[in-house]
Amino acid sequence: MSLEKKDEHDHRGWMEERDLTVLEERYLTLLMWLDKRLRLVDYLELLEDLYYKVNMQMPKSHTEQYGLDNKFWYWYPLYALGSFSTIAYLVAAISGALLGFYYAPAAASSSGDPTVAFESLRYIMQDLNFGYMLRSIHRWSAQVMTAAVFLHMLRVYFTGAYKEPRELNWIIGIVLISMTMVFGYSGYLLPWNQLSYWAGQIGVEMALSIPLAGEWTAQLLFGGFTLTQATLQRMYILHVFFLPFLVTGLIAVHIGIVWMQGIAEPH
Amino acid sequence: MSDNDTPETETDGGTGIVPPDDETPTWSERKERTQGLSRLTYEYFERARREDQDLRQESSYVERDVLGFPAWPHEMIRNLALTSFFVGMIVFLSATLPPEMMPPANSSSTPAVILPDWYLYWSFGLLKLGPLNPDLALLGGKSLMADRTYGVLANLVVVGAITIVPFLNKGAARRPVEQPFWASVGVFGVIFAFTVAVLSVKNLVPMDSHLLFDLTFLLPFVGGFIAYAILKSMREGYMFTLNRRYYRLRPPK
Repeated sequence: MSLEKKDEHDHRGWMEERDLTVLEERYLTLLMWLDKRLRLVDYLELLEDLYYKVNMQMPKSHTEQYGLDNKFWYWYPLYALGSFSTIAYLVAAISGALLGFYYAPAAASSSGDPTVAFESLRYIMQDLNFGYMLRSIHRWSAQVMTAAVFLHMLRVYFTGAYKEPRELNWIIGIVLISMTMVFGYSGYLLPWNQLSYWAGQIGVEMALSIPLAGEWTAQLLFGGFTLTQATLQRMYILHVFFLPFLVTGLIAVHIGIVWMQGIAEPH
Repeated sequence: MSDNDTPETETDGGTGIVPPDDETPTWSERKERTQGLSRLTYEYFERARREDQDLRQESSYVERDVLGFPAWPHEMIRNLALTSFFVGMIVFLSATLPPEMMPPANSSSTPAVILPDWYLYWSFGLLKLGPLNPDLALLGGKSLMADRTYGVLANLVVVGAITIVPFLNKGAARRPVEQPFWASVGVFGVIFAFTVAVLSVKNLVPMDSHLLFDLTFLLPFVGGFIAYAILKSMREGYMFTLNRRYYRLRPPK
């Protein structure tokens, strides 16, 4: 027997003194190899923690606790609007990703001849199997999301849910609702039909009317002072790249804060 | 750290829902392995947790037992059902009302009606507030800014006003009856959003445009005043019931 202190973390020695099958041995070896490099144990701990959290019971809500249900039941459907808009956002994201397979943001001409963008829209609507349904779902989920977001804001206002300590979430909500509208606006321009074109025209004029930074804003958002290929391209990148990242991130923060602070019920 | 002398008995915040296994390391054991900044963070959190615990023990508030729905499967199944219902609603709408094909973009022919989507009508209407742009005598009867600049600024003012609401309206009141003024401000805002949206399509409304412009600002005030009057008169009875309910639960000492 050696005087050397026994290594408690000698996993290989521990493995060898056990009577393991070939399969178990291979598995353990692989697991140790991976754990040594990637610290899998930490993630297992996280999973374990999550497992216990998921199985915990929901605490009684304020209204349940004080038996106020009879007084407030009529508010309850309005408390689903936030999650409704999130669901609609997910539906729009999925259908939008599928639409992206068939859409090309190219405005080769804007003098009345159908452009590439418009042609791809016509293809989706008329030739592609279930293409019109795809676009319809995308459009309707966007409309529903916007409507739900507006109603959600009204609910929060009229039940005083924005009050301390929830001011920050109210402001994040304002940013989110604005970005939802920009989302809708940039999507409105993508078909590059008459309505899109002239709505874009108004957008350029609005941007130009901003004091001091007007021309700069028009250049940045619309790629110039008239509507060109650059405009469509920028709206497309806004719609499918910048806004999705920003809005998804902000929604996560928004819901995370609600999770931490709890739902503000009338009391 | 002095916290280490006392053995940790509760590891899950004292809710007693999940009994910790003997093998389960406590949170302090897990976190004590760290060093440096994370160690500092851990020590701070331990202090904060202790503070919370002390405050909780001092207070007379009795923590209730957890007697709610379990998250799994009850809550999850309910959420799935609601989600499928809502998604079904969207799919139903899109199957029955698909979007139409518009004519392609043409820069040489301006359509009779130019409109954004419905949710931007209010913003579009705010662009048409030119008549409110004051002519300043100081500038020889000229306006300080162009009408369209004025409209864009009106948008910023409206969004800014909504943003600072939590910093203006403080206090514990939550329901409209408890705060008739702020509720009527809300009613004012909702009606104004609709009237200004109608103003944005004034060439389609069969009405004198001056009358429409006046109504745009008059109707919100009328609605706001009516809401205020109704809520004020409801308040008396409502607060009475509420107080009775409250004091029945927590009788005064």
